[in-house]
Amino acid sequence: MRLYETAFLIAPNLSDEDTEALIDQMAEVVSGKQGKMVNVDKWGKRRLAYQIQKFDAAFYVFFVYKGEPAIPAELERRFKQHEAIIRYLTVVVDERENVRRGKSGRGTRPPARSDRRPPRPAPPAEEARAPRAVPPPKPVTQPAESAAESEAPAKTEESTEEN
Amino acid sequence: MAERRSRGYRKYYPPKRKVCRFCERGIRDIDYKKIDVLRRYVPERGKISPRRATGTCAYHQRRLTVAIKRARLLAMLPYVAD
Repeated sequence: MRLYETAFLIAPNLSDEDTEALIDQMAEVVSGKQGKMVNVDKWGKRRLAYQIQKFDAAFYVFFVYKGEPAIPAELERRFKQHEAIIRYLTVVVDERENVRRGKSGRGTRPPARSDRRPPRPAPPAEEARAPRAVPPPKPVTQPAESAAESEAPAKTEESTEEN
Repeated sequence: MAERRSRGYRKYYPPKRKVCRFCERGIRDIDYKKIDVLRRYVPERGKISPRRATGTCAYHQRRLTVAIKRARLLAMLPYVAD
């Protein structure tokens, strides 16, 4: 049993009812093969980044389901037969995550890559830059600097956007 | 005060070190459906930005590349854009 995600694009010239009927029909394939549908996501009609079979838009549908490999195989077989389906993609969702976790747990341990390039701490740069930046009254003194050093990398610009 | 310190720090270290945005957020997988996230890594021409430009770590760059290519297949992102 694996978790799959199948995305497919339905031609925009299909009527709404036909589109729905087609989606239901494909969903039945999943249940018909003892698959468990986890989620059906319908994005609706969206513009395409490039034309596919002369279409500029398509109806996006995403199935997330659990089951045997026969299910995506059967779905794709049907997709090929059905000409209203202009593109599809199946991916395995559960992606061997455990293998990675054993090593360093990338996702669980966030930033802290201080092990990466330690040899550029305070002293040399201080001497090099300080003269150039004369205007600010006093170059930051030792304690302040070491404190800043540990926290500054974390708060570089634009750390709040994205996701 | 704390802010002033960190600001002072940046002044003396102009080449700011880029941190992988995905590591910062503790994201493991990059979803090919999150186009707004992927968009940030494909400038106008539609090419995938190199790591040296974005600061993405090797692990996430690999994931990102796959995600972008999947998104392209589904026409959510362009292969080429002029």
